[in-house]
Amino acid sequence: MTGVIHSVTLPVGSAPVVAVGARVQPADVLALRRPPTDGVTLQIAAPLRRSASAARECLVARPGSTLQRGDLLASDQHGREVRAPHACLFLGYDPDHGTALLSPLGDEEPIVGHVRGRVTRVTPSAIDVRVAGAMLTGVGGIGSAVHGKLRLAVDDEGDELRAGAIDSEATGRIMVGGSRASAETLTRARAMGVAGMVLGGVLDKDLRDFEATQQRRKEGGGVVVGEFSVLLLEGYGKIGMDPGVFTWLRAHDGKMVSLFGDDARLYVYDATPPPVRRLLPTAGDHVVGTRRPYAGAGGRLVRIFPGLHVASSGPAVRAGLVRFEDGRTGIVPLANLEATEPATRA
Amino acid sequence: MSVTIDTELALLVDTGTAWTKAGVIGRVRGRWRLVAHAAQPTAWGEEELLRRLVEQLAATADTRLTGRFHELLARATRVECRTAVRPARLVVVAVSRELSGSAARRAAEAAGWHVVEMVTFDDGRTLAERVALLQSTVVDAWLLAGGFDEGRSPRALEAAALVAAARRPGGAPVVWAGSSHLAGEVTALFEDGAATAVGNPRPDARRDEPSELRAHLQALLRRTVAPEDEERLTQVALPRAIGALAAATGFRVLAVDVGASSALRVLAETDGTTHSRVHARGGLAGAALLPGAPGRVSRIEVDAGEEPAVADLLHNLRARPASVPQTAEELAATQAAARLLLASLVEDGAIGQLDLVVGCGRTIAAAPHPGQAMRMLLDGVRPVGVTQLAVDAGALLGPLGSLTEAEISEGLTLLADDLLVPLGTSVVSRGGDPGRVAMRVTVHRAGWPGHGPVEVRTGQVLVVPLPRGHEAELTIELSAGVSLGAARRSPRITATATGGTVGLVLDARGAPIALPRRADDRRAVVASWSDALMREAPPGSERVA
Repeated sequence: MTGVIHSVTLPVGSAPVVAVGARVQPADVLALRRPPTDGVTLQIAAPLRRSASAARECLVARPGSTLQRGDLLASDQHGREVRAPHACLFLGYDPDHGTALLSPLGDEEPIVGHVRGRVTRVTPSAIDVRVAGAMLTGVGGIGSAVHGKLRLAVDDEGDELRAGAIDSEATGRIMVGGSRASAETLTRARAMGVAGMVLGGVLDKDLRDFEATQQRRKEGGGVVVGEFSVLLLEGYGKIGMDPGVFTWLRAHDGKMVSLFGDDARLYVYDATPPPVRRLLPTAGDHVVGTRRPYAGAGGRLVRIFPGLHVASSGPAVRAGLVRFEDGRTGIVPLANLEATEPATRA
Repeated sequence: MSVTIDTELALLVDTGTAWTKAGVIGRVRGRWRLVAHAAQPTAWGEEELLRRLVEQLAATADTRLTGRFHELLARATRVECRTAVRPARLVVVAVSRELSGSAARRAAEAAGWHVVEMVTFDDGRTLAERVALLQSTVVDAWLLAGGFDEGRSPRALEAAALVAAARRPGGAPVVWAGSSHLAGEVTALFEDGAATAVGNPRPDARRDEPSELRAHLQALLRRTVAPEDEERLTQVALPRAIGALAAATGFRVLAVDVGASSALRVLAETDGTTHSRVHARGGLAGAALLPGAPGRVSRIEVDAGEEPAVADLLHNLRARPASVPQTAEELAATQAAARLLLASLVEDGAIGQLDLVVGCGRTIAAAPHPGQAMRMLLDGVRPVGVTQLAVDAGALLGPLGSLTEAEISEGLTLLADDLLVPLGTSVVSRGGDPGRVAMRVTVHRAGWPGHGPVEVRTGQVLVVPLPRGHEAELTIELSAGVSLGAARRSPRITATATGGTVGLVLDARGAPIALPRRADDRRAVVASWSDALMREAPPGSERVA
């Protein structure tokens, strides 16, 4: 088990249903909540037989408070009362119409953790889970938490994930692509019920086109089923995945994973630790470039130049000579390189 | 008998979210000078930074100190400032997006808060969506606004109730910046001490009075992000240094610092008083969030590449803030993005005539060519009038500002030679007919033959070489309809220009800069501006675009 603690944030009004020490699976419910629904108005002045403005003085409940069914909202000295017809949030009083604005609480909804592990802390605002898996972090992503089985969808870390690779077998899976997935691929994946994607890079334009498609579908009344998440490991643009990471993901094809696109994080369960990325490489290290023209390219840092070196764009920076695996040799700022090391078994 | 040679050093460190800059100050022939400087990604750590400084000292310092630099640096007086690592998060809940909401948001962002959500009654969300969103948002403060001071708006009270419903008791502080009539009712919705009422930034439909709210939010931010170490925060330290610089020189100074995540603008009056604004998302990482940024970058910078590639680059600036542009296209796009960020940094609130503009932050202050730094400052700030421009190349101002007031003044005096790298002086005009002469400038330098008059046409940039340490008297004749910002009392304006690494820039492109509509024309014009500022020219000749 890794030392990674994953915190599941609970919205206000949630009630945890797990205790410290509990073992949880990705699909397990960790808490329940009754979400607010759209506002309704409730007459206050009329039952109290007062003018709209005068009835304001009879309010007992404070705006912003949560009321249970039957809780007192307003009363007067004659024993007349107005009570909450159902559990709700009391959000305000309209002195022109003598009505209260209520947001009734809806049916109970589950809050799923999407992670496997052991619960280490439970508070009203969060549940912490020590994750029983290896963690891979990226540089960006979109989408909320999803989980599913990992499925390799390309043969090489530099390959583009094509729409044709998304078939019925991909439903509910987290697909591993290479250097890019087009807007068409992302849209097809979403339509086929793919849970998420792990990519080396993606074009900002493809992501925006995809999001626009989803928005239009929603506005048109179309059904968008389930959540969908994308994790970017290297950056924006057509960027191949680090070969070491790709090999590691390939080795864990079929394993259960949890993907958090917005947090740029992936947990792979029952997995060996992933290759380690380290800043400030030294001569002899295997490195990966992080910026154009070498973004995503792997190679060997042959030597580091003493002092500062003027990069081709002009800045004077610390730089090194890199022999890339694709045959190129280049002088690269050290700030644009990360050393990659084979994982050490935890 | 052996004699131990010793020396006294000071280490000035400016730790940013992405890069750390450090300078070593030592005595050189009896004067305090910057003797070593290094900049590196913050994540590389202190040990690596010290190693680089030691390398430089070993190459230049007294050889009798060889082998002792680590020890000397370890006991050097350390002066440092740092950018707050954690952005402080705030939600704005207001009645309307355009009135109360936008005023509150502007004040919050100008105080350095990261506005993670804005909820208003005209935001298109349902009530349920608004409540659910607020209940799920984790914040460091809630900012409530709505209603004019004369009225008693039920909608404003409803906005407060939304927050009362979504906030946990004992949670983040609440700031009420709405109708003063409702202050008591709003604060009563929360537990004692949780809510504070401050002046309404929109007291009526015609007035904007954000200063009280901004000052309150700035103080709240400092308590939130660095309660124990406030003096060392860059957003506190840099304004103090700029204020001292303004007081010492008698200049009206504008300093702009575009960092990796946030940006800071400091306007210092001649008496040393300062007005500063931190834009939490105003750094390079925020460029991708500017409306239409990729299109605007490719429009204003011909070398930046096509819009989709620029969009990817802007996102990568956020994803990998410590990396450096390695291709000419990426550098051009990054600098164009910095110009957009500078423009948005100075757009709210009139700045007026300036004597000196100081560029801070690596993108500007460590630009590979001084002409690039000059262009970012000129195009971004548009300082109309006659203005000196300089960069804080050593990143010394921030650390100096963390000292006591007396020490800051002393530091400014002692480090006068190294503190700022002067780029030169700009004469920026506004108005005029395209293609027609906007101004005629005669340059008089003591001991040199008179230069000019040089004619500058509207839409043109022209550079007259004027090296660092040199001064020139300018006689400026403006054409009809052209101004240098201030009211004109005479057809001829005289001014003093000081030299720098770029020289004297005569800029008649107007404010804001107007670009040709046709893409080919635009490319040609923008390329010529860049060329004028970057080209090396023999002394005595002007570079025209």
